[in-house]
Amino acid sequence: MSFTSRGDGARIKAEIVSSLLARLTSLSARLECHVKDLASTMLAVATHGDQFVVVHIGDGVIGYVRDGELRIASSPDNDEFANTTTFVTSSSAITSMRLLRGSLEGVTGFILMSDGAAESLYNQRTKMLAPACLKLVRLLADSPTYQTKNPIHRKRLRKFLATRVREATKDDCSLALLARLPALSPSSRA
Amino acid sequence: MARINIENEDLFENPAPRVPVALCLDTSGSMDGAPIRELVAGVNQFFDAIDKDEDAHDAAEICIVEFNSGTKVIQDFAGVDRAQRISGIDARGATYLGEGVNLALDTLETRKKMYSDTGVLYYQPWLVLMTDGGPNGSAAELERAVERVTKMIGDKKLTIFPIGIGPDADMSVLARFSPTKPPLRLQGLSFNEFFAWLSKSVARVSQSSPGDAPPKLDLEGLAGWAEL
Repeated sequence: MSFTSRGDGARIKAEIVSSLLARLTSLSARLECHVKDLASTMLAVATHGDQFVVVHIGDGVIGYVRDGELRIASSPDNDEFANTTTFVTSSSAITSMRLLRGSLEGVTGFILMSDGAAESLYNQRTKMLAPACLKLVRLLADSPTYQTKNPIHRKRLRKFLATRVREATKDDCSLALLARLPALSPSSRA
Repeated sequence: MARINIENEDLFENPAPRVPVALCLDTSGSMDGAPIRELVAGVNQFFDAIDKDEDAHDAAEICIVEFNSGTKVIQDFAGVDRAQRISGIDARGATYLGEGVNLALDTLETRKKMYSDTGVLYYQPWLVLMTDGGPNGSAAELERAVERVTKMIGDKKLTIFPIGIGPDADMSVLARFSPTKPPLRLQGLSFNEFFAWLSKSVARVSQSSPGDAPPKLDLEGLAGWAEL
């Protein structure tokens, strides 16, 4: 049974953290370090049929585009202070995890960002995403597959992240996009 | 091929996370003369050092509270660009230490609320408490101050640096404010060295990110000029 149809959210959270910790434990053995040394936040979006699932531990932001408008799915979890948050390895990882699901109807994309990228793409005061997020989602949605796999296209996206976003922060800087073209309405199909 | 056409107005520029530092200073009569002059010079040097450090300059916000036979906010929380350098302090009166600490904490709470209301992130606040004597204000205010500070430290909401100035500083009272590390006694009037160390520590904290090890406050680095 997929996550989108299960009703036991608390159990799903425990399963996700357990799975992540097992992977980190395996990795820590390979790297000869402690699991705590691999502490990280986690942001994920998955789709299944006409449903989506959002999973978020710690800071960073997950946004999405529905009916052409940017919306927030999950905001940063910073406790009180700027340099504190929850990690996958934290004892509170399960209880602080945001686990959301919803319909993909009208949704054309998701944008996931770490705290460093959020400094340019998320307004901490208004809790809104920057217009650049909508442009990035549209860019990816409008690009044919052969373009998104094109090295030049990918290079431009990397350059945007490495200059405009990365230079505005001293924090970790990651960005993930998931996008699709809007579904054709019955009238436009005719 | 589609181009990435993102203008500056498509991005946000969030304010730098702040490091609030409250200086709670004894300006009682016993500080008159060289001690108060050296203290003022040290505080101004602290401002200058913060000003020169790129990270600390954007992050540090400093307030100065004095206590003698009363209490006063000499400088409310401000970055080094807006903070006024001190031209001099008139040392006089008694040592209302508890009242001073309570005013510093109240000022800090007001600033934290402003940060929260305006979406400004901030690091754990610092309280620097400096005295050359023993408290002789209200005993109830002193107890309230000790209770507030120790609770905040226990809750990891505050870092305190209790500093004794000269041989007459009541280190046992300062120790009550600091359950996790002993107070420091300055050797002579080494304010400059202390504030140079403090500015470097602020710079280290302002560069820290979630997941970083807590910035090491190099107390050993103070050993040459202070007694632990």
